[in-house]
Amino acid sequence: MLAHQLALESPWIQAEAVEATEFPELSRRHAVRGVPQTTINDGAGIVVGAVPEENLVAEILRTFNAI
Amino acid sequence: MSQLLDQEIQDQVQDIFNKQLTESIQVLFFGQEEDCMYCQDTEALLQELADLSDKIELGVYDLAANAEIARQFNVDKAPGFVIAAKNGDQIVDYGIRYAGVPAGHEFSSLIQDLILVSGRDSKLSPETRDILTNLTSPMLLQVFVTPT
Repeated sequence: MLAHQLALESPWIQAEAVEATEFPELSRRHAVRGVPQTTINDGAGIVVGAVPEENLVAEILRTFNAI
Repeated sequence: MSQLLDQEIQDQVQDIFNKQLTESIQVLFFGQEEDCMYCQDTEALLQELADLSDKIELGVYDLAANAEIARQFNVDKAPGFVIAAKNGDQIVDYGIRYAGVPAGHEFSSLIQDLILVSGRDSKLSPETRDILTNLTSPMLLQVFVTPT
């Protein structure tokens, strides 16, 4: 999984794969409609769908720069 | 209890593990007694995988009874598990976690992640690795998935 590759590479990144149907409350809170959906820092960033490496990294960097 | 993985899948996975697992892996599973529909299946699945390779060690914990270990590894859901590296006696946590049973497509992700952690290399492009060096504060990625 791409998010897990990123976690392995960066000591600052943690990545959790969440089975959406088993955790409906969390999924509702993050308004999950399509999968995979990646939320960054509790909703500060979001990527919907399976995207290329550079797109996910760009969103992580955008979220980081907005902190 | 019957096996979750049939013989054919076991043979395939064992073949993959034999060829592709190089360094040792520590998997830490966290379950809970109450209100956990998939805890038993998840633990059983991880045990079956661990039985297929001597490179995989499985530790089984309870989210409540082992709260300190759960906190240490940032696990707050059951079933939840961490895929970490094991270097001698030392466990190296990369922040790679699953919440929920890894069935269907997630089973493939799990096998890939085991190979990834065993290799100790992210396999990311040089450009991505370079961009990631800009980070200086914690980032939590939560990837919502479904089994199909």
